[in-house]
Amino acid sequence: MSSSYKSFSPSRIWALTMSTVTQLLRMRILVFLLVISVVVVGASFAFPTFNAAQQLKMLKDVCFGLEQLFAYVIAMVATALLLPKDVEDRTLYTILAKPVPRLDYLLGKLFGVLIVIGGGLVLLDIMLSGVLWIKQGYVLEDTLAGLHMQLGGTPPPEAIAAATADVEKQGLTWALHVGVLAIFLKASVLVSLTLLISCIATSTLFSVITSFCFFIMGHGETLFREYFFKGGTAWWQYLAAAVLAIFCPDLSLFDVVDAVTEGRAVLLTDALHMTGIGLLYTGGYMVVAYLLFVEKEL
Amino acid sequence: MSDTAVVIENLTKVFNRGVGHKLFTAVKDVSFSVKAGEVYGLIGPNGSGKSTTMKVLLGLLAPTHGKTSIFGMDSQLVESRRAVGFLPENPYFYKHLTGMETVLFFGKLCGMSGKKLHDQAKELLKLTGMEGAADRRLGGYSKGMLQRIGLAQALVHEPQLLVLDEPTAGVDPAGSRRIRDLILDCKARGITVLVTSHLLEQLQEVCDRIGIMSQGQMVSEGPIEDLISVENQTEFVLENATPELLQQIRDLVASKPGSGTLLSMGHPHTTLERMFLKVTEEDERLEATRTKT
Amino acid sequence: MKRKLQALVVFILLGICKLPLEQRTATSLRSHEMLYAPLDYSARDAVGQMGFAATLGGLRSLVASITYLMGYTAFEETNWSRVDMLFGITTMLQPRFDVYWDDAAGHMAYDAASNYLYDESRPTLYRKQLYRENVQRGIDILNEGLRHLPKSDRLHTSLGHLYARRVEPRNHELAGEHYLLAYQNGGLPVMERLAAYEWAQLNNAPERWKQAYTILKRSYGMGLRAPGTMNFMHSLENKLNIPPALRMR
Repeated sequence: MSSSYKSFSPSRIWALTMSTVTQLLRMRILVFLLVISVVVVGASFAFPTFNAAQQLKMLKDVCFGLEQLFAYVIAMVATALLLPKDVEDRTLYTILAKPVPRLDYLLGKLFGVLIVIGGGLVLLDIMLSGVLWIKQGYVLEDTLAGLHMQLGGTPPPEAIAAATADVEKQGLTWALHVGVLAIFLKASVLVSLTLLISCIATSTLFSVITSFCFFIMGHGETLFREYFFKGGTAWWQYLAAAVLAIFCPDLSLFDVVDAVTEGRAVLLTDALHMTGIGLLYTGGYMVVAYLLFVEKEL
Repeated sequence: MSDTAVVIENLTKVFNRGVGHKLFTAVKDVSFSVKAGEVYGLIGPNGSGKSTTMKVLLGLLAPTHGKTSIFGMDSQLVESRRAVGFLPENPYFYKHLTGMETVLFFGKLCGMSGKKLHDQAKELLKLTGMEGAADRRLGGYSKGMLQRIGLAQALVHEPQLLVLDEPTAGVDPAGSRRIRDLILDCKARGITVLVTSHLLEQLQEVCDRIGIMSQGQMVSEGPIEDLISVENQTEFVLENATPELLQQIRDLVASKPGSGTLLSMGHPHTTLERMFLKVTEEDERLEATRTKT
Repeated sequence: MKRKLQALVVFILLGICKLPLEQRTATSLRSHEMLYAPLDYSARDAVGQMGFAATLGGLRSLVASITYLMGYTAFEETNWSRVDMLFGITTMLQPRFDVYWDDAAGHMAYDAASNYLYDESRPTLYRKQLYRENVQRGIDILNEGLRHLPKSDRLHTSLGHLYARRVEPRNHELAGEHYLLAYQNGGLPVMERLAAYEWAQLNNAPERWKQAYTILKRSYGMGLRAPGTMNFMHSLENKLNIPPALRMR
């Protein structure tokens, strides 16, 4: 025999990861990205009648909205397709008939989807940053020219400084990249949750619908959790709130996109908290997914 | 390494088909073993439990009762698969990969890498006759080509045991013959082969031992010669025998009543498969000569 | 089966352990204004089923942008009640973005109010009443915005402008107060002077006059000699009976 067996092998996981990436790219994901990129560039020319801050805010809102749509749709739909498709095509038999631990297979799928989502988000982030940077320059120029006309001469330095600060606040900031990180973290949680559901699901449709339900409930989990912590209500309401809070992840914890598009700066501690929570969910759900998959009969 | 490649001991597999459905027993108390280096054929009608037995052996299903082992190691352990190459029935690989990429991918899953893997992949593609199509995507392959790529991936990590599930299903006679030759080649290299097939004549040509399954149970098992030979009959084939000689034989048998009975005498038939191969090979040879001139 | 039970146990344990962590992280993020409190279920009627689902999906700012654009279209069609409703939704979705409050108030107190005032198809008295009502609506919107963003110089400036330029009669006291708050919360230095100009126009308010005079004297000391500033300064010197020797020239 030519190779020795290792129960954990990064190169084996990497081979599965890259095969997942290729598999996903074959699902025309690049076309999806291309359409979003066109909209990003198009959005930079839109809303010319609005003031500087509003134009930049609109551009960010549209782009971040599309980035979220891209990340969450891929996270739920593409992930839900992966496992059942491998079972249906029997590729899973051929793979698991090799000395491949089932955990490696799951990790390969997880990392493959995350690389596609992460790569897509990085591309869109670079594009948005570029477009925003150029647009910021233009709108600042327009604003200062407007001030010049309004005052009939050179505006005072304080007015220039205030207008510049206003535009810069809505322009390209580091916080925007933290917003992209938050989208990625939420997508990671969704990918691991969808993989978990795939391990018990009997069809792709079931996985997609269940993931979507978790997605919606995950954004309302705060309500259940706070209800649970507040207590003092009827026991069955208390129990229902507890069950929902325990079973759903709090996806709203990653919704800092609203704040960053408003021009707020993100504290490092907040970014770290968010990352920690994201890793906890993803890691936890992968452990559960493994426990379900390791006994799955194929 | 153990002398016995495969041991299936009192294997029972029961499927729970959900609430409201009865339990379904796919395999019931099956036992057999495959010695290292031999070719073992598992035959039986559809639904007889052959595939389930193979899936349990490969760790894709867990046994309800009993034990399965590969070279002495519990086959439910991932590590046991280090010694196994598997070709599923109608194999489906990632269609977006080329033949070469497919073999490399499965090689990497077995922990192989670098030049050694590339050389091994090239050699196997040559061995399976897929060298010319190595750079084409699997999406455009015929069934026979997929089967041969399947065989190449199954052999990539130089396994000691080759498990083939209906390897010739849907493949033309020439392709079937090539797969048969590959099985014999594996046997010559000391690889144990466990194979299922509906084409009993082909199994007869390659297998040392046969197990026949029906309704989840092993109904007959043993060396192929023992199973198919007709003990009270003798056959001999003569070439260019004159009618006089044939008449003398008839007379001789008739003159010794009680010593035996002549049941039939005539021209032996070739098989349709042999005839097909002869005709197509001749045609190919003529085509090659025409191209040269 | 054993593994399935283990999976369920891990899933529940994870769910229990995460609760306090989530609570702490949510509190921290909210205290730093990084997260909004969850949208009230009653908001569903306002934003519609689709919009509500989208906000639940974390696309709150995108939905706010869409309602903002719809509000802008309604403004172009001079459909003021719709403008008010749509901007109400926009500000409800993103109450911490002061530009939305400012625009919402501006559309009502300037665009709608002026549109009604110059709408000759209506009786004069009614036009004036509509003008007043819409200016007041603008003030209410800004006050609501200041409840969420008490330190927004933009909102204080806009409110100052409304009291100084739009309400009838003009409210110099409140206008000055908001201009000064705008300056104190990072607004332009001119806001402080605008506060002084407003208070300079008050009747019988010696304390405000003194405050205004102090501001203008400081500006004068910094070399500011704009005619407007000088006029208000002289007026205040007269009102405060500043001895001629101490007056600015």
